Amino acid sequence: MQALDKALAQVGRVVLGKEEQLKLALACMLARGHLLIEDLPGMGKTTLAHALARVFQLDYRRVQFTSDMLPADILGVSVFDPETRQFSLREGPVFTQLLLADEINRATPKTQSALLEAMEERQVTLDGSTRPLPEPFFVVATQNPVDQAGTFVLPESQLDRFLMRISLGYPSPEVELDLLAGGDLREQVRELKAVINGEGLVKLGRMVETIRATRELLDYVQRLLEATREDDRFVAGLSPRAGLGLLRAARAWALIGGRDYVLPEDVQAVWPAVAEHRLTARQGGSVAAMTQSLLQSVPVVRRA
Amino acid sequence: MARIYQLPTHTRLWLTLAMLLCSLPQLFRGPLWQSGLLVLVVVIRMLVDRQRIGLPGRTARTALLLITVALTFYSFGRLYGPDAGVALLVSLFALKYLEVVKLRDAYVLMVLGYFVCATSLLFYQGILMFFYVLACITLLTACLVGINHSDTSARAPQHLRTAAVMLMQAVPLMVVLFILVPRVAPLWNMQIGSGQVKTGMSDTLSPGEVSSLSRSSEVAFRVAFEGDVPPMAQRYWRGLTLSTFDGRTWRQGLPAGMSAQDYLVGANQTPPHWFSVLKKAALQDALHYQYRVVMEPSHRRWLYAMAVPFVTDPDLRMARDFRLVADSQVDQRLGYQVTSVPSATGAMTLTPQERQLMLTLPASVGPRARSLAMQWRRDADSDSVVVQTALHYFHNEPFYYTLNPPRLEQDSIDDFLFRSRRGFCEHFASSFTFLMRAAGIPARVVAGYQGGQLNPVDGHLVVRQYDAHAWSEVWLDGRGWVRVDPTAAVAPQRIESGLQAALDAQGNTASNLGLDFSGFSGASWFGQIKIWMDYVDFRWQTWVLDYDTGRQLAFLSRIFVSVTPMKIALALLVCLGLPLLLILGWMLWRRERHPLSQEEKEFNRLFRLVERRGLTLAPGTTPRQLAEAISDRWPKAATQALHWRQRYERLMYSALPGDKKKQLYHLRRLRNRLYKLLY
Amino acid sequence: MPGPLKRLYRRWLARRLPPARQIVLSQKRVFIFPTGYGFLYLLVAALLFVGGINYENNLILSLSFLLASLFMVAILHTFMNFSGLGLRNGTSESGFSGGSGALQVILFADQRTHHSVRLSWPGQSAQQVHVIKGEECAVWLNLSLPHRGRIAAPRIRVESRYPLGLLCAWSYVTLDHYCLAWPRPVASDHCPADGGEHQHSVASSGQGGNEEFQGLREYTPGDSLRKVDWKGYARGRGLYTKVFAEPAGGRLWLRWSLVEGLPEEQRLSVLCYWTLALDKEQAPYGLELPGLTLAPDSGDVHRWRVLDALACYPEFD
Repeated sequence: MQALDKALAQVGRVVLGKEEQLKLALACMLARGHLLIEDLPGMGKTTLAHALARVFQLDYRRVQFTSDMLPADILGVSVFDPETRQFSLREGPVFTQLLLADEINRATPKTQSALLEAMEERQVTLDGSTRPLPEPFFVVATQNPVDQAGTFVLPESQLDRFLMRISLGYPSPEVELDLLAGGDLREQVRELKAVINGEGLVKLGRMVETIRATRELLDYVQRLLEATREDDRFVAGLSPRAGLGLLRAARAWALIGGRDYVLPEDVQAVWPAVAEHRLTARQGGSVAAMTQSLLQSVPVVRRA
Repeated sequence: MARIYQLPTHTRLWLTLAMLLCSLPQLFRGPLWQSGLLVLVVVIRMLVDRQRIGLPGRTARTALLLITVALTFYSFGRLYGPDAGVALLVSLFALKYLEVVKLRDAYVLMVLGYFVCATSLLFYQGILMFFYVLACITLLTACLVGINHSDTSARAPQHLRTAAVMLMQAVPLMVVLFILVPRVAPLWNMQIGSGQVKTGMSDTLSPGEVSSLSRSSEVAFRVAFEGDVPPMAQRYWRGLTLSTFDGRTWRQGLPAGMSAQDYLVGANQTPPHWFSVLKKAALQDALHYQYRVVMEPSHRRWLYAMAVPFVTDPDLRMARDFRLVADSQVDQRLGYQVTSVPSATGAMTLTPQERQLMLTLPASVGPRARSLAMQWRRDADSDSVVVQTALHYFHNEPFYYTLNPPRLEQDSIDDFLFRSRRGFCEHFASSFTFLMRAAGIPARVVAGYQGGQLNPVDGHLVVRQYDAHAWSEVWLDGRGWVRVDPTAAVAPQRIESGLQAALDAQGNTASNLGLDFSGFSGASWFGQIKIWMDYVDFRWQTWVLDYDTGRQLAFLSRIFVSVTPMKIALALLVCLGLPLLLILGWMLWRRERHPLSQEEKEFNRLFRLVERRGLTLAPGTTPRQLAEAISDRWPKAATQALHWRQRYERLMYSALPGDKKKQLYHLRRLRNRLYKLLY
Repeated sequence: MPGPLKRLYRRWLARRLPPARQIVLSQKRVFIFPTGYGFLYLLVAALLFVGGINYENNLILSLSFLLASLFMVAILHTFMNFSGLGLRNGTSESGFSGGSGALQVILFADQRTHHSVRLSWPGQSAQQVHVIKGEECAVWLNLSLPHRGRIAAPRIRVESRYPLGLLCAWSYVTLDHYCLAWPRPVASDHCPADGGEHQHSVASSGQGGNEEFQGLREYTPGDSLRKVDWKGYARGRGLYTKVFAEPAGGRLWLRWSLVEGLPEEQRLSVLCYWTLALDKEQAPYGLELPGLTLAPDSGDVHRWRVLDALACYPEFD
């Protein structure tokens, strides 16, 4: 998959030292899922989203969420046109191919859920008329870590709508040095070359569906899901939807790896990004560590 | 963990039913007050269960127990012995039922129930009884299921179903055990007599005795032949020989000076000379009949068989007069195997004492008969001519064969021979023997049965009481004891086709004589049922009740050529273990809906190997990680590990079509190579 | 059993039946042995055998064989009834140390119905349950809490004698389950808290006006009812909780470092006492322990979280 490698290389030029996360983001897009990036401000979330849009030649809009934002501000409103004497829909920023929803947890729950519903259904219903969103349609939402004041935490049910959650984290010292030495990032992003267009991306997304997963692999995925349900450290286990997402993400990962079949490694690679944000710990503690420990404890191949 | 246990309500019905049904057969036998006791107990219990009254206290129950013991003593005169013991057991069973409160009580009740069932089998051994007991056991098992089912919402029929299923599964095992478990000799001797007097032959013969037997159609014994079945006219079932006569009654008699030991030969004693001779003669003769007799209880010691009967059963003895005698009374059905050699009679000798006994006549009886016999003696030149003359006499003179002979006056011989001339077999046998002795020919009366009816289902012979018969045997020099049946001279139909035919021929019908010839008459459905019932009854006896060490060996040697304890143990193990294993296997198979595939096993094997070699791996290790771990630890195995991994991933996850077997074979080879490299 | 043997037995059991969150009683874990009544029953069968031999009565012999066969069939049935039963952790009911807590054990039956299963552990009377196929059934087992901390579930004996009571199938199950024992509250005059306007008997109830209203968020169970936007609820907006930005001075922090000069357990007990006291006053309070900080809040859920943290100290997960 030369195109994908190229795309990765392109984005890697501006988001330095985060190959793993880039691959995950890419896989998320290929699996037609939405991405949630959780990080402190200034970690390059915006840059990543912007770069992805450039590389795939996607319509790109960025919305900074605030607490006084209303659903109409994102979806659009029906306005009365005095000339035509008719109501017409003024599309909101959601009608784009790649939407960067910055600091989504600053918005009120109502606004959040309006966006999330649109994400799920890939269409917007306003005043009784339904409009499909463009194809492809991705949302990259960013969120400040929960502890920050003045935020509305996304409820679990909404988090399920994001296929993956990643966090970029601080760059390594070397990368940071490069970063400091480099020029204006925005400028660089603008200089990125497109690799595929939106249509190509849709085709790739279809290819993901054809990646083979054997019975044994499906078994493994099922065992992982089962393990989250049986593990009483979590409030609740993963939903079947999460399971489908996991499999789709693993397929996309396999595609990026240049294979037409899924290996357990693919599942393991996307597992934290897919599972962590959907699970809540019962008694505090690091969900990340618990999710990771499941990978250790769930046998890949069935035992006697 | 002490719990207060309450007998679940859903089990009460089964408990009551089990108690009643288990006791029922004994109630028929036991005294009447026992039925009263049972009814009383059930009523009290019912009232208690409905909480109308409280459970009778300890005092009341003890009083009830004492009364029961007293009544038992009153009824039987003792508290031990089979009858009193069983009555006491049944009463205790009922009283225990009354006071069942705790789980322990219920178990004790069950145990008593098993014993009560066993005692029923002690007294009744019919096939119906056995199935009845099976039903009782099912009920008892249902009770066990019930008392262990603490869920108050359980339904009573459910217990019965569970119990029935379990019994169904247990019955095949039971059959296997029954066939294979070796029968041990009794540890101590026990005999149980039901003490009921039945119709049957007595040990004496006087006029009118056999004819009264003829009014009964009860089965005397049954015979299953192996091989040839003798014709009707040859089926003389000898029971007794009667050699002393007092003018009216014939009795058994021992010749003077002969010890009982010399007279009776058992299997485990050194045989006297006459027996060895007899045995030798028997071995030379080809004509012999092999058969098994199953005798109904007669409460006598003598058995029935055709002459000359040889047996192997250690409990049976053969007498010098070709009879079989059991060591103890036949109080239960008894089966025995006989080989009869008719011609062996000629090998027997007659001692002077025997001759003396066989010629003895009471002094003042039958003067006219004596003179008639003397005259025959004078006219004839040999003993056999005398015999022929006598038979002619019976045939030619107007003698009648009848079931209702007129009463005989003082001298039974002369009165019969010269006046009434109407008689039954005992009259003919008695007077014929008298005549022979008077003519100087040693003779004796033989009592037994003659004929019998074949069951069409499997051809076994049923001999009934109305087949009772008496005939004579005379000693002819050179020929030994020869059977002579004077009845045949008068009414040949009796011998050829049985009593019914004989009476018909004489102008009597069974019905106006008040006789019951309910043998296998007619082809009506009722007749058919009787035939089949007789068949089942007989087979039950021969296959189940008589299944002893001998039959077991015979049966088993048909399966295994030679029977050794080892083989029996093995067969037991296989028969019991195999179903157990099958069921267990089935259960395991059910648990694991899809067992591990070969591919999965392949991975597990390598995984375990690596762990054994000292590398700890998380359960979640992928094939790739496994291969990497191997190359890290054992660099020289790196290439093999890589190959293994590639093959494995392709096989397991690529879902590419291909020869799985071949792939697996390669995998196994790679793994075997890894085995050697991982050190 | 002598001491060393008992220890060996325990170790063997622990190896053979390792603790797990969920255990399905497979044939590896199930032991089976005749009960006292089972032996009595076998004795009856043996007596009948002797009787059958002595009376040379094949039917009585058959009866004894039937009883023996039934016993063998019962082995299978007892085993079948018992095996396949699953047990897993349910929730737990924490309690103060010295008191008692409870653990919930959930029994589930995937393959068949399990009749008359008894669960018991030392110092606890047995409980009898029926687990119907495809259903679950929860059992609470009491547990005395002798000291603060995590009290691990003791070994549970699970047994069943169904259907005939002649055999007992049993297994020991050690669930990887624990009950939290909170410290026993010990009264102390000095409130180990700072940040509040007064050191103790603080009444920061959300009505003092010293807090700044920030907005609403969806009600989640456990929020203090005093903070629910009842007016909005009355207008049909649904349940929302008012979020206040509290001035730093209004928040109380219970701090480990403020309870000085006492042994560890004592410290926790004091903190526990004040947790309960502050909770009674509906005051928001936070907790700071070495290795764990819980932001100030109030309400039942918060109280539980604080108590659980005190119970878990010094290892939080």
